[in-house]
Amino acid sequence: MATIELRQVEKLFGDFQAVKPVDLTIKDGEFVVLLGPSGCGKTTTLRMISGLEAVTRGEILLDGRNVTWRHPSDRDIAFVFQFFALYPHMTVRENIAFPLQAEGQSKELIAGRLNEVVDLLQIRRLLNARPSSLSGGDQQRVALARALVRRPAAFLMDEPLGALDAEFRETMRAEIKRLHIAQNATTVYVTHDQIEAMAMGDRIIVMSNAEVQQVGTPAEVYYEPANLFVARFIGSPGMNLVPGKYQEGVVHLAGGNEYPVPERWRRSLTADLSGEDVIVGFRPEAAVADSEAGLTAELYADELHGAHTILHLSLNGRASESIIHIRAGRGARHPIGETVRFDLKPEMVRFFDPHTELALQLEGNNG
Amino acid sequence: MASFAETGPRTPVTEGIRVDKVHPRARLLRNIRAILVVVVALIGLVPVFAMGLTAFKSRADVVSVPPQLIFEPTLEGFVFLLTERSQMSASALATAQANEEELSLFERIALENGQRINGPSDFVTRLRNSLIIAGGSTILSVVLGVFAAYAFSRFDIPGKDDLMFFILSTRMLPAVVVAVPLFLMFRQIGLHDTHLGMIILYTVFNLSLTVWLLKGFIDEIPREYEEAALVDGYTRMQAFFKIVLPQAATGIAATTVFSLIFAWNEYAFALMMTSNNARTAPPAIATMLGRGGIEWSAIAAGTLAFLIPVVIVIFALRQHLLRGVTFGAIRK
Amino acid sequence: MTSATVSRSVSGGKRPRRRHLSDRAIQNLFIWPTLILLIAINLFPLFYSLYLSFTDYSAIANQQPVWIAFENFSRVFNDEGMWEIFSITGRYVLFSVLLQLVLGFTLAMLVREKFLGSGVITTLILVPMMLSPVVVGLFWKLMYNPTFGYFNYLIGFDNPSTAPDWLASRFAGQPVPGLALWAVIIVDVWMWTPFVMLLILSGLKAIPEYLYEAAAIDRASSWFQFWRITLPQVAPLVMIAVLFRTIEAMNKSFDLVMGMTGGGPGAQTEVVAVNLYRQAFQGQWRTGRASALAYIVLIIIIAVSNLYIRNLNKARKEG
Repeated sequence: MATIELRQVEKLFGDFQAVKPVDLTIKDGEFVVLLGPSGCGKTTTLRMISGLEAVTRGEILLDGRNVTWRHPSDRDIAFVFQFFALYPHMTVRENIAFPLQAEGQSKELIAGRLNEVVDLLQIRRLLNARPSSLSGGDQQRVALARALVRRPAAFLMDEPLGALDAEFRETMRAEIKRLHIAQNATTVYVTHDQIEAMAMGDRIIVMSNAEVQQVGTPAEVYYEPANLFVARFIGSPGMNLVPGKYQEGVVHLAGGNEYPVPERWRRSLTADLSGEDVIVGFRPEAAVADSEAGLTAELYADELHGAHTILHLSLNGRASESIIHIRAGRGARHPIGETVRFDLKPEMVRFFDPHTELALQLEGNNG
Repeated sequence: MASFAETGPRTPVTEGIRVDKVHPRARLLRNIRAILVVVVALIGLVPVFAMGLTAFKSRADVVSVPPQLIFEPTLEGFVFLLTERSQMSASALATAQANEEELSLFERIALENGQRINGPSDFVTRLRNSLIIAGGSTILSVVLGVFAAYAFSRFDIPGKDDLMFFILSTRMLPAVVVAVPLFLMFRQIGLHDTHLGMIILYTVFNLSLTVWLLKGFIDEIPREYEEAALVDGYTRMQAFFKIVLPQAATGIAATTVFSLIFAWNEYAFALMMTSNNARTAPPAIATMLGRGGIEWSAIAAGTLAFLIPVVIVIFALRQHLLRGVTFGAIRK
Repeated sequence: MTSATVSRSVSGGKRPRRRHLSDRAIQNLFIWPTLILLIAINLFPLFYSLYLSFTDYSAIANQQPVWIAFENFSRVFNDEGMWEIFSITGRYVLFSVLLQLVLGFTLAMLVREKFLGSGVITTLILVPMMLSPVVVGLFWKLMYNPTFGYFNYLIGFDNPSTAPDWLASRFAGQPVPGLALWAVIIVDVWMWTPFVMLLILSGLKAIPEYLYEAAAIDRASSWFQFWRITLPQVAPLVMIAVLFRTIEAMNKSFDLVMGMTGGGPGAQTEVVAVNLYRQAFQGQWRTGRASALAYIVLIIIIAVSNLYIRNLNKARKEG
C-alpha cells in the first residue's frame, strides 16, 4: 500500500509563497500528474514529498506514516530527475546497482533485480557504458532503471521527458505508462505539457500561482474546467472564452450576436452570476459550422489539420476576446473574409463568472 | 535524530533546503564552517594589516619588542620614503623651530629628527617611472592585443592553435633566459635603461595575457551581430569598430586593469634591464634596504603606497579575477 | 567567413563607395604587428640565448664569444653546487604546491556553501596573490624579524631569545638548516592558496546539485559523494592549479626570494631563478654558462607548460 497524503502543506521562500496550503490524497497505484506553467509550485510540491525540499508548514504522510522530517532515503520513494542525475564516473551497471548496494543488500539480490530491471527497460546492451556516452533517451531509461531497482512504494518524476528530443518523448511517454501499469506503483509526475498530462494521468492536479486550480480526471478537467485558468490551459487550442452580457435567458455577444442559453443553465445563470457579465466557454469541437441558425463571425484564417480544419473567426474586429476557433469538416470551403454561421452543442457549453473566474455549476452537480 | 524526525525544527523553514540539512547537527556544522572561513580570511589579511600598521609607526615603535599593536601613528615613514633630507646645523635648527608654524606637515616631521627637506627622493622618481612604463605598455599591449584577439577569434588562421600556444608560452619563460640576450640587444641598440625600451619589453610580455583574455571575451560575443552588419553593407573594419569593440568594452576594461597590475608589479626585468634612468618602484623598494640604516617604516610606507592602488583595483574587478589569472580559462 | 569582399549593393547605396580591406588583409594587419614584436623580443632572444649557451661569453668582458660546445652544459650537471640548487628548487616547488593544494582544496570545500558575507570574504582572500611578489617578500622580511617582527609574536613566541630566527635559519641560537627555505615556502603558500581555492571553488560550483540530490535519495555516504561525484568533476581544475603553480614557482620565485632573503642565508634559499640571475648579472657575469642553465630550466618548463595548456583547453571546452 502506498498512499500519499499532503495535509496543509505550504512552502515559503522568505516572504514569497511558493506553494499555498494544499490538501491532497493520492491513492495506491494511482498515476497522478502535477500540471501547470513554470513557477506554479508543482516541482516544489513534488520535492517536498521527496524530502529534497523541507516544508514550511504541514505534514506529509506516506502510507499513513508521517515522513515530513524523515531523510529522503528513508521514505521508500524513488526520484527521477529531468537531467537524469546519473553518477558520471560509474558505469550503467554500477549506477543501477548503487541504491541497493547503499542499502546493504546481498549480491544475489542485487544481481537478480538488476537483471529484471534491465530487461524491463531493454538496456542490457548499455550495461558497461558510461552515462556521458549515451543518448538522452537511453540515459533516462537508465535513470528509470535505477529508480525501479529499489521497488519503492512510490515514484516521483520531475519533468523526466523535458530534456529529450521530441521524437523520444512520445516513445518514452508510452514506456513510462507501460512500466506504471506493470509495476502498479503509485506515481507522481510533474510536467508543464498538458498533452502529456492528459495522455498519462489517472488524475490531473492543475496548479497555477502556487495554488491548486482543479483536481480531476482528464475528462473532468477537459470537459468541466473549474475556472478560467484550467479552461485556457487544457486543450490545444484552449477553450474559446467569449465575454458577453446575460439578460433573461440570452447572452449578448460581440458582433451583434445573441446566444439563447440552453434551458438547463438558466437557473444557475440567473442565480449565481454576480452581475450581468458572463463568459461563454466552448471548445473548438463544440461548435457546429455552417448551421442554419446560430452565431455569425468573420473568417480571417484557417488551418488544415488532416481530418479537420480549424477556422479562426472574429466576432467583432480583432480584439482578442472576440477571436474564436471552431472545428469544421475537411471538405468545407470558406473563403477568407466570409461570414460563417455556427451553432454550439448545448451539452458542451460552459459558463464562467468573469469576476470570480469560476465556472458556473449546473444545479444538482457536485462540481 | 529520532525526535527530530518526529517534530521537525523549532521554527518553520522558509528557505530552499533539503530535509536532512535542516537537522540541528547539519546546521551546527554549517556554522562551524562559516566561522572557520572567516578565521582563515583574517589570518590571510593579518600580514597586510601588519604592514599597514608599520607604515605609520615611528622609528622607535617599529623596533619595539614585543611589537606593539597600539601606538601613536605618525607619517614619519612616508617622509623618509618620499623626501631627501639632510641634517641641519644647530643654528638652522633653532631658526626652524622658531618658525614652526610656517612649515608644511612633512617639514615639521623632518624637523623632529633635526632634518631639513631638500626635495623629493629617488623613490618618487621611481614611482613616476612605474606609472609611465606600466601605463604606456598597458595601452600598447591592449590595443595590439584586441586586434590580434579579434583576428584569432573570427578568422580561420593557419596554425592558429600553435600560434596561440606560442603566445601563451612567452609568459611561461623564465625571465633570465630572455633577459640575458635582451640585455645585450638593448645595450647594442641603446635601449638599455630607457623608458621606451621598458615599454616595449612590458608590452611584449603583457601581450600573451591580453591576447588570451581578449580572445576569450570576444569569443563570447555572438558572431551574428557582425554578420548582420556585413549583410547590411558594413565593411569588416567598420563592423569591428562599431559593433565588436563596444560590446567588448567590459572585457577590454578588465584586461587593461590586469595588464596594469602585472606591469606595475614586475620586478625581474626591471631589475635586470634598468639602472638609474628608467628604474621602476619594485627594484627600488628592494634596494632601499641597502642604503645606510634600515628604515622599516619607510619600507612599510613604500610597500603600502605600492600596494594600495592594486587592492583598490582588485575590488573593482573581482568578478573577472579568476579569469585574469588563469588566462581566461575559468569564468566565475 | 571567406576573404571575399562584401558588396554593398544590398543596403541600396546608403554608404559612400570606398575602398575597403579584404578579410585576408585585415587578418594580416591585425596579427602581424603582434607577431613581429613577439618574434623580435621573444623568439629571437631565445635563439640568441641558445647560441650563447654554447659559448663562454661574458657580457662585461670585451671579448667576442668563443665556441665551447657542450662544456657549459656538462659543467652544470657536474657541479655539486648545482645539484644542491636543483634540490632546493625541487623542495620549494614540491612543498609549496602540495600545501597550496591541500589548503586550497579544504578551503574551497568549506566556502562552497553560501553564508553571510561570503562574497566579501572571498574577495578579501584574493588580495595576497595580486601583490608584487618582491614587495610581499620585503614585508614578510619585516614580519619574520626575530626581535620586532609580528610573526613570532603572533604565533606565540614572546621572547626573542627563545624564538626562531626564520630567515637566518636559527632557533634559540642554534642553527636549523633549511628553516629559511620553509619561511619562504610559508609565504608562497600564503600568497597562492587563495588562487588554488578559487580555482577549485569554481569547479565545485559547477557540479549540478541534482547529482547530490540523487545521492541523498540513494543514501550515499559522504565519502562516496566526495570520491565519485565531487573529485572527478574538479580533477581537471586541480591539474591546472598544480601545473600553473609549478611553472610560476620555478619562475616567479625569483621575485619573492630576492625580496625576502636574496638567496641566503648562505645559499639555503637560492632557487634556480636566483642562481641564474647571480651567474648572469653578478660576479663575473658568466653569460654563456647562465644561458646554458637557463635553457635546461626552459626545457623543463616547456614540458610542464604543455601539460598545462592541454588541461587549460580541456577545462575551457567543458566550462
